[in-house]
Amino acid sequence: MTHTSSSRRAAVAAGLVAATIAAAAGCSGATRNTAGGSATADAAKLTLHPTTTAAKGELANADWLLEDEPDSLDLDTQGTSAGRVVLTNVCERLYQLQPDMSTKPLLAEKAETPDDKTLVLTLRSGVTFHDGTPMTADDVLWSLKRHADPDMEQGDEFGNIAAMKKTGARQVTITFKAPDAMFFKALAGDAGIVWNKEQVEKAGKDFGTPGQPDACTGPYELSSWKSGDSITIRRYDSYWGKKPLTKQVTFRWAADSALVNALTTGAADGAYAESPNTAAALQGKKGIEQHYGPSTASLVLIPTERGGLKDAKVRRALSLALDRKGIAASGYGGMVQPWGTPVGSGAWGYEKPVFEAAQKAVDYAPASPSADDLATAKQLVKDSGADAATPIVIGTDASQGRTVIANAVRAALQRIGLTGQIKTVPTSQFEQFYSDPQARADIDVLAGDWYISKADPMGFYDNALSDSSNNWVGFKDAAYDTEVKKALATLDDAQRAKLAVDVQKKFTDAAVWISVAQVPSVLVLNTKLTGPPASMAYLYYPWAAELGAKKG
Amino acid sequence: MLARISRRLAGLLATLVAASFVIFAAVYAAPGDPAVFLAGGRDKLTPEKLDLVRAQYHLDEPLVVQYGRWLGDCLHFDLGRSFKYGDQVADLVAARFPTTLALVAYATLLFVVLGVGAGILAAVRRGTWIDSAVVGGTTLAASVPSFVSAIALVALFGVQLGWFPVSGSGEGFAGGLHHLTLPALSLALGALALISRVTRQSMVDAGAADHVEAARASGIPEREIVLRHILRNALGPIVTMCGLVMAGMLAGTVVVETAFGISGVGSLLVGAINTHDFPVAQAVLLLMVTGYIVVTTLVDLVHPLLDPRVKEAAA
Repeated sequence: MTHTSSSRRAAVAAGLVAATIAAAAGCSGATRNTAGGSATADAAKLTLHPTTTAAKGELANADWLLEDEPDSLDLDTQGTSAGRVVLTNVCERLYQLQPDMSTKPLLAEKAETPDDKTLVLTLRSGVTFHDGTPMTADDVLWSLKRHADPDMEQGDEFGNIAAMKKTGARQVTITFKAPDAMFFKALAGDAGIVWNKEQVEKAGKDFGTPGQPDACTGPYELSSWKSGDSITIRRYDSYWGKKPLTKQVTFRWAADSALVNALTTGAADGAYAESPNTAAALQGKKGIEQHYGPSTASLVLIPTERGGLKDAKVRRALSLALDRKGIAASGYGGMVQPWGTPVGSGAWGYEKPVFEAAQKAVDYAPASPSADDLATAKQLVKDSGADAATPIVIGTDASQGRTVIANAVRAALQRIGLTGQIKTVPTSQFEQFYSDPQARADIDVLAGDWYISKADPMGFYDNALSDSSNNWVGFKDAAYDTEVKKALATLDDAQRAKLAVDVQKKFTDAAVWISVAQVPSVLVLNTKLTGPPASMAYLYYPWAAELGAKKG
Repeated sequence: MLARISRRLAGLLATLVAASFVIFAAVYAAPGDPAVFLAGGRDKLTPEKLDLVRAQYHLDEPLVVQYGRWLGDCLHFDLGRSFKYGDQVADLVAARFPTTLALVAYATLLFVVLGVGAGILAAVRRGTWIDSAVVGGTTLAASVPSFVSAIALVALFGVQLGWFPVSGSGEGFAGGLHHLTLPALSLALGALALISRVTRQSMVDAGAADHVEAARASGIPEREIVLRHILRNALGPIVTMCGLVMAGMLAGTVVVETAFGISGVGSLLVGAINTHDFPVAQAVLLLMVTGYIVVTTLVDLVHPLLDPRVKEAAA
């Protein structure tokens, strides 16, 4: 479930995209060339607001664009963001992620923790599925067990669960082997969707494919999915909550320049732009507005097993010498912001001021390196005794943004007396760097990106545990491990935030990964419309229910 | 006749089986690991999870076993389920094929009318500026790659002038026509030079025949001569070429479909290859091969009807 530059994007090869953009630069109208810096936003001035102004007027139909057709509308078997953008208006979860990235109970009207290892969920009454049958505790328990199946997308969220039982007509009790703060966040994600048991079982293997009804309780119901053409959702009349202003949303999909053109000509009313370059191409077009919101996504440099960046001193030096501002401007049209931690500000789902202050205090990650930074970096390299002759190999694909990052890394290495070498692979192979240690054997550092689905920084920092399969460079720190585990088991938000900030400092000081920028989420909207959240909550919150006309 | 048809059918089947194995092996050998795409997100790419996925989709078996499994299902008319979509491959393809077919049919109509028309014009006015203009213009059109012409057409007629929609395939006949005009045009442009050149040349050859001279001498009007004597004799190569170009287009809609955001089998194929969706890639490629074979076979069958000389040779 990668969110930016997803591996599943119907890439008609990045080459075509690059050619498309380059060719379009020659003729006005199609897309704007985002590489030349002619239309770059100033990353520093990009202000992030989680919400947009509330809508006042009804809307009969909204035409919405996705970057790709959803693989499936069964998020247990195929959790892609295209499917999520549609389904989050149709399905509801036990908890709900709010536009400001906080979470609160939703289908569970009450959630109590008599002790750290017990969660008692009392279900909301009067909720019906779209076939009119009421939601019961049996449905909830069955759904949780379906999510927990190791074959399913969310299976790994249930590692700390001891038992799940129905303990009353409207009550489900979950007991834990060990306290797990992340599980509460997972219930606001796909691990908390409540399905209509009978309907899912009836559909069998075809559940979630075109022509099948949905099995959910949300403000919209799925009215049709014409494979290869469109998906339509319409207002569900017996919805238990607030009635949406928009009667119907029609989803179609287009990639790259086709997406930009459809929004420019008004053929579509809106889209959540998944790639910063799309947002950059849409800058300043008439009739559309862009709203930027916090997201957890970030651009990062991930050091690998090969060991060129094994030494924390060298990693720190590289981080000090990296021109993040330059990358944001020339690689992403100013649509990303220089950033010092591995998760974007959308991860601050609680205790925001604490995380904000900690973000400002991060060392070794200047937006643009000063003379002092470079002097410190050179000294660090000298102290480490690193060999300047052996090149540090940077892995990337041919996409514009990553190419710029890879070149910026090479330049930074040169500035501190080391050599860099770029290894480019086809886009279809790029994703293998993440999964296959053998693919990584050729590179020392990956120009990658990352995002987490939970609004909690602690959802990220377990990646640097000594035994994590995502800790490629082999960072080992017993104190770090202890503290991460402690934080993950701390249910109290204020206490967990304190621990998280501490963990974060250890992580950034050792530059386990080198953060480059945070990638805001972008809502592109027809100027006549308003309402949906601009933050990354659009993946888990019924954004269409807030969509409507500006004028009542 | 019956024997000929059954011989052809047997050949067709043999070709398809051979093609299916080659395609299967090629998709299998493509770089990248299908399990990565099937496992889901980056935080899920643990070795254990990947092994689980490989077992679930039989990716850990040798190529021949996987192919045998696919072929067995195929003989039961089961093309399997897409790895990516979880839907029946037959449904996925059936939903998208009409769009691609409409696009190719429209493009064919355009290049036949425009290409053959331009070729006749150039042949009749041989050696004049019209001839040079046709040859030069079509060559220029053919030298522009289809994604460039697609983008240029969208930029001008879609975005600037707003005459045509910029993406999607439209609703109903009129909507479809409106939506598919630009994509069909950018597909057809590349074929214009070839078709007009072949038309021109075979008209010139046919025009040099003795009976044409005889007809001219007997005072039949020029129009009549061009249509009845020259064009009729020149039709064989023209039809053959049009058939081949059209067959080739079936497999060449990918780029145009992407530029215009049309969900046809072309874009389905690209997505399937990029995510190692074996069952879908296999089915779409086979469909394209079948389409190619069917069209070229039809051309073979029509050819003798157009040209008595071929019929005599075949007999």
